[in-house]
Amino acid sequence: MRPLLSGLVNGFAEIWGHKLRSLLTISCVMLGVASLVVTTGFMEGFFDNWETSLQEQGGIEKISSLAQGVKERQAPFAAVSPGLTPADALALAALAPQIAVISPEIEASRPKLSRGARTYDRRRGARVQGVTNAIFEINRFEVASGRMFSDLDMHDHADVIIIGTRVRDALFAPGEEALGALIDVNDRPFRVIGVLRNYERFWGTYNTLDSKNEVAFVPLTTMAAKIQRSDRLSFLNMKAADVTRLRETVDTASNVLAQTHRGIIDFDVRTSEEQLASYASTKAGFVIGGGAIAGISLLVSGIGIMNLMLASINERVREIGIRKAIGATPLDIFSQFVAEAVTLSLLGGLVGVALAVVAIQGLAAVIPPGSAPVLAPSAFVVGFVFSVTSGVLAGIYPAAKAAKLDPIEALRYE
Amino acid sequence: MALGDEVLRMERVGKRYPMGDTVVDALVDASFVLSEGEAVAILGPSGSGKSTLMHLLGFLDSPSSGEILFEGRPVAALTERQRARVRAEKIGFVFQAFNLLPRLTVRANVALPLAYLGHPPPDAEARVDRALALVGMSNRAHHKPGELSGGQRQRVAIARALVNEPRILLADEPTGNLDTKTAAAILELFQELNRQGRTIVVVTHSPEIAGHFRRQLHVLDGRVAEKGAAS
Ligand SMILES: Nc1ncnc2c1ncn2[C@@H]1O[C@H](COP(=O)(O)OP(=O)(O)OP(=O)(O)O)[C@@H](O)[C@H]1O
Ligand SMILES: [Mg+2]
Repeated sequence: MRPLLSGLVNGFAEIWGHKLRSLLTISCVMLGVASLVVTTGFMEGFFDNWETSLQEQGGIEKISSLAQGVKERQAPFAAVSPGLTPADALALAALAPQIAVISPEIEASRPKLSRGARTYDRRRGARVQGVTNAIFEINRFEVASGRMFSDLDMHDHADVIIIGTRVRDALFAPGEEALGALIDVNDRPFRVIGVLRNYERFWGTYNTLDSKNEVAFVPLTTMAAKIQRSDRLSFLNMKAADVTRLRETVDTASNVLAQTHRGIIDFDVRTSEEQLASYASTKAGFVIGGGAIAGISLLVSGIGIMNLMLASINERVREIGIRKAIGATPLDIFSQFVAEAVTLSLLGGLVGVALAVVAIQGLAAVIPPGSAPVLAPSAFVVGFVFSVTSGVLAGIYPAAKAAKLDPIEALRYE
Repeated sequence: MALGDEVLRMERVGKRYPMGDTVVDALVDASFVLSEGEAVAILGPSGSGKSTLMHLLGFLDSPSSGEILFEGRPVAALTERQRARVRAEKIGFVFQAFNLLPRLTVRANVALPLAYLGHPPPDAEARVDRALALVGMSNRAHHKPGELSGGQRQRVAIARALVNEPRILLADEPTGNLDTKTAAAILELFQELNRQGRTIVVVTHSPEIAGHFRRQLHVLDGRVAEKGAAS
């Protein structure tokens, strides 16, 4: 501790003794650290967003099946299959214990949402879906006010509806109570029994989660009987009980569906693995790219520091000789110069982090929330580790060179 | 270690510098023993090998031939680290060329050896003050060496050699730049230190100064000879 402390004090004195030269070196480290911290901040912001939106779509345990055209060789028999129906959901519930939650969904085609003179802009296309309460768990919806569907709603094909905030905002005046009011789906009145939470996650000015606000849910039975007049499911979403056995769960679900569809493969069962894989590979790419940038800046600032240290040692051969003559061990000399290098890089690192904080806050003020870089604690750790590492690595060689000097040769040095 | 015990022993020590085709024998077959509590003056003309001898005594240089023993142990067998420790704890060296660190203040220069002790003494500050007072440089403690006269620098160099209270004090012409009065004061200081039991080796050109020392070694063309072990 003692040689380190006196080394730091000495380091400051040396830095002060060569202000311009030290300043240039410190700038190298500073820019390296600052760019690293800001880049890390951007990456954190970007991946945070992406990850949240992946999560909000149901996470990796979600399995979706949906209707798809049959292969050519099965085409003549396609009519044999009843298609994706609520019966499939019952069959899966009975035969596939690996599936924890099953959500059959029927989507209304070109629904018209209105309330008196107010209509929901059809070009924006709100999704009106017939669902069971399973939708809330599988697609991560939350009823903010009001209630979910009751068994009675399901049984009675009740004309009740749960709406997203965009739908509410379009059909109701600000502050107007939506709960208990009537709104029309294809001119048929439904009573609003619930309003969903508002979902927000900005990527620039774009709310990546806005589609979760543009929905309206009615009971599955009501949708089949009164709106769509067909019990063909649009989606049959499932949640695996054990994510680690996702493959097996998908196979089981496919087998059950093949049974109920009488061998006609007019459905597709998929997971979000692909999306996840692309998330993972993109992230890996960014980490590698970021790592390369970090490595290059590390190298550049390391070279700067090493250059300064070598120049400084050449100028101070005599000093090294004197120190050795009055009792400094090679280790004392070594730690003195490593401490000087670390002092330099640490100063650069501190200034760099400070610069990065200012830059990130400046960018956050200009760039809309979401795409702006975030001040992640990891960025500070990265900046600190970065500067100390470059200081130590760049200091080792010059310091070892200094420690090896022969005292008498050093003293004779003019 | 009692007074009179052997501290340093030179056995047929030689130092040879290669100079292109020829060689310079700066020291030839030097053999003598330095005992605890001795005061030795080394005399000799310029270029005779006095500084070379002093560097060898202080482990700063290693001999080309022969052997040096410190407290009975061959110095060559010590690691560089061990040699540095002995230098820090037991030897004070005053260089012919002062060798102060120009960027440090007088005070920091004098305090420097304390940093290289295995365990820095708790009374470090007081020791620095005492050493500065001994050489009469207390009032210049915060100056840089560049702001001092040659004689003043020499006194600071002496203070630095004394701050660790070394058993052996090696001084290469410590009074070379001083007026007779100051030189006499420094000499008196050395003798006082010697009376306290320290071993002192001083290089000087002046036979008069050398006369104050009980033992004198003469160096001529690299050969060391004992002169009158009198008084
Ligand atoms: N590194 C070296 N390379 C070659 N020759 C050297 C070296 N160091 C000393 N010498 C030679 O060794 C001899 C003794 O030198 P040394 O410095 O010991 O003399 P000195 O007695 O201290 O002289 P002075 O009284 O002038 O200080 C000289 O001839 C010198 O040229
Ligand atoms: Mg000399």
